[in-house]
Amino acid sequence: MKNWKLIFIVSLLVISQMLAACAPATPAPTEEPEAPAEPTAVPSPTPIPEPIEITLWAQATVTEAGAPPEDWVAYQIILDELNIDLTYVIVPTGEDGEAKINAAAAANDLPDLFQVVSAKNDSRGALLQLVDLGLIAPVEDLMPLMPERAKLHYNDPLALDLVTFYDHQYGLPEPPPIPRREGLVIRKDWLDNLALRTPTTPEELFKVAKAFTEQDPDGNGKDDTYGFGGFLNGQGLGTRFDFLMGAYGVPGVWNFTDPAAFGLNVRSPEYPEAVAYFKSLVDAKVIDPDWATLKRDDFRARWKQGTFGIMWEDFAALTNKSNYEPFDTNFPEAEWIPVAAPVGPTGASNYGVYTGRGQIFAVSQKAADAGKAEAIASLLEWMATDGYYLLGFGEEGVNYIIDANGNISTEGLADADKYTAAERQPFTQMRNQLIFYNSEQEIVARYPEYKTLNGRTMQPMTFLGFFQQQPWVDGRGIQVILPPANAADFDRFYTEGLIKFVLGQEELNDETWAAYLAGLDALGAADYEAAAKQALTDAGLLK
Amino acid sequence: MTLKTLPAVPPSTEKFDFKKSLCALWRQRWMYFLMTPTLIYFAIFKYGPLWNAQIAFKDFKPLLGVMGSPWVGFKHFETFVNSFYFTDLMTNTIYFSLAKLVLGLPLAVICAIALHETWLVKYRAFVQTMIYLPHFLSWVIMFGVLLVILSPGNGLLNQVIEHFGGEPISFMTSPDHFRWVVILSDIWKETGWSTILYLAALLAISPDLYEAAAVDGASPMQRIWYISLPGIVPVIVLVTLLRMGHILEAGFNQIFVLYSVPVYSVGDILDTWVYRQGILQFQFSLATAVGFFKGVIGLVLILISNRIAKRVAGQSLF
Repeated sequence: MKNWKLIFIVSLLVISQMLAACAPATPAPTEEPEAPAEPTAVPSPTPIPEPIEITLWAQATVTEAGAPPEDWVAYQIILDELNIDLTYVIVPTGEDGEAKINAAAAANDLPDLFQVVSAKNDSRGALLQLVDLGLIAPVEDLMPLMPERAKLHYNDPLALDLVTFYDHQYGLPEPPPIPRREGLVIRKDWLDNLALRTPTTPEELFKVAKAFTEQDPDGNGKDDTYGFGGFLNGQGLGTRFDFLMGAYGVPGVWNFTDPAAFGLNVRSPEYPEAVAYFKSLVDAKVIDPDWATLKRDDFRARWKQGTFGIMWEDFAALTNKSNYEPFDTNFPEAEWIPVAAPVGPTGASNYGVYTGRGQIFAVSQKAADAGKAEAIASLLEWMATDGYYLLGFGEEGVNYIIDANGNISTEGLADADKYTAAERQPFTQMRNQLIFYNSEQEIVARYPEYKTLNGRTMQPMTFLGFFQQQPWVDGRGIQVILPPANAADFDRFYTEGLIKFVLGQEELNDETWAAYLAGLDALGAADYEAAAKQALTDAGLLK
Repeated sequence: MTLKTLPAVPPSTEKFDFKKSLCALWRQRWMYFLMTPTLIYFAIFKYGPLWNAQIAFKDFKPLLGVMGSPWVGFKHFETFVNSFYFTDLMTNTIYFSLAKLVLGLPLAVICAIALHETWLVKYRAFVQTMIYLPHFLSWVIMFGVLLVILSPGNGLLNQVIEHFGGEPISFMTSPDHFRWVVILSDIWKETGWSTILYLAALLAISPDLYEAAAVDGASPMQRIWYISLPGIVPVIVLVTLLRMGHILEAGFNQIFVLYSVPVYSVGDILDTWVYRQGILQFQFSLATAVGFFKGVIGLVLILISNRIAKRVAGQSLF
């Protein structure tokens, strides 16, 4: 028993000593109280305020390049100039990124400043859901604190309206990427090899695709090519085949071409005709048979391997030097050329639907409650002013220079140091999300001309100009259309039904098409259309 | 040979003695000490979150927190049960779970017995390594591997089919074939790894039994049938019971990576639906309600299976 008491007392002593060691240090008591200090000529140094910790979540500009290193010079500059301790986290693209944001939202642990991510490209809808959950702080009071950024980035009244809910601005709408930047392209060398002309109608497209599939256009003696390539993205058949649906007057999900008859495009009598045409491509096996399962990166790997000769692609993803290089190495004599929107049987011709969606950033309510809003505004303003070149291109004289014409250049710089080099991409990951605003200087710098391996001049801007001149449908109103409550079921039925028709899993005839439309109605399609029409009317976008 | 079971312990008639229990506790203190980390783990990561499961019955708003969100009763359960694809989702989920169990378990047992019977040590080590390997590949990599094998364009399997005059098959997008792709790829990936448990059980069987059987003239097949198999029955029962508790978890990672719109009708499972409707649509309470539903069904199935196993095989989990 004595032993127990001894152990107990010793334990108490040890624990009390440990607790005392953990307590904040206090000055040792002195025997006599100190006399008040005499004023001296040397002023006491102003205490430096603690740095404000800001966490930023945003997607990467070059997803395969990774995040900047911890010793990135920008972190130190931001700390020195703004007294902000920045933590920059790269959010995955697509559903993974959306799930990451949503999981943080569920835990009321959203980052201070973040990009609103939506796999369905509906950032506004996602923002509204976060606003309704009370997780987003209004930002209208921050706008005067970042005058230069507001002038360069937040200058579109429609974009600002779209992020305004319940009389408060909740989002920071970044300028959309260059509009109408995607388009239809075809392998010119394959056309030449088979003595074919550039197709102008769906029928001609079919014939060329069949020839590309069956007549060995690359002349390698193997049956290893297809006419079309593509992948599914977005609702229904996705945006990658809108040029085909557009030839029948029904591009995209919604009918923006005829405001009087606004509704889902599948209601249009031309829609099943367009689906039948698409099905004919699948039946004839002139489209890469993996198209329905491929992801974006798989698709891009395949055109670089010369798998198909007709596709829909982003002009920069196709023509920028770093993207084109692998294809150029594989096929130095090959050449992609842009193709105009095919003209359908009734004379309809639509390249695609232009939505004008840009990235939306938001400030969490948690950050605002912690008093970080002003610091966030100062960071954003710095990114648009002093930090613009550093975050967009790197260090002047090391990663870029500004030539006599005021253009960004890399002349005379070491290859690995150029802002365009693969090694430098982690250091400019914020550029497409938070830095660039499509100025002329940027566009010239981002899409320079260069020589391909066979000495041909590649001009990315020529592709962009061609694509932009095509007949696009103005679908910016789609931004105000919010998903229905049963979005997962509705989307599945809508998309799955169309895919089944196209792949021949469901016979396409009047009866089955009517059943498909009835199924959509059973899932509340009419209510969805009415709500969409009302939202567009309220926003003044249904003209 | 009959299966030996421990004699039933008669119910104790002694009164609970607190002092005696404390003494027993003290005597076994090191055992309890060793258990502490596990208990803490379960308390924090398994029982703690149960408190938050109440949001299944609430309209959860992160800003209001778990306690502050308003109660809505069984609203989310009703939404789930009345959802358009409820029957499809349940059918697909149970189909995948049962198929993986029914086909995967016997294969793992056969593999384990075959390895156990192999007397070439190097060959056994080689085979073990080869069959364990796929377990360490993520499903994203497996998708790439499957695409190379099954692609209707230039997939290895389709090249073989074409070589013999057949038509290429779109295994990944065909509702007729997709389920088999899921089941067989899971078996390929996980069977080897599952053998570890059965191999351990086989190694625990006393060699004396095999020696005695050999002396009595038992053939190798007889030794497997009368010694090896009965020796691992408790493990088989244990694994089956545990899998019954997860019957509504058909493998989110695998399905999410492999499925696509053309095969939603045969591939969409509860977890993928929850991901699309619950997580991506901010319906956290709905997602939790489905999780709760899965948990309750799993518990009921474990209890039923346990009782059946006790009656039929004389083995049980508890």
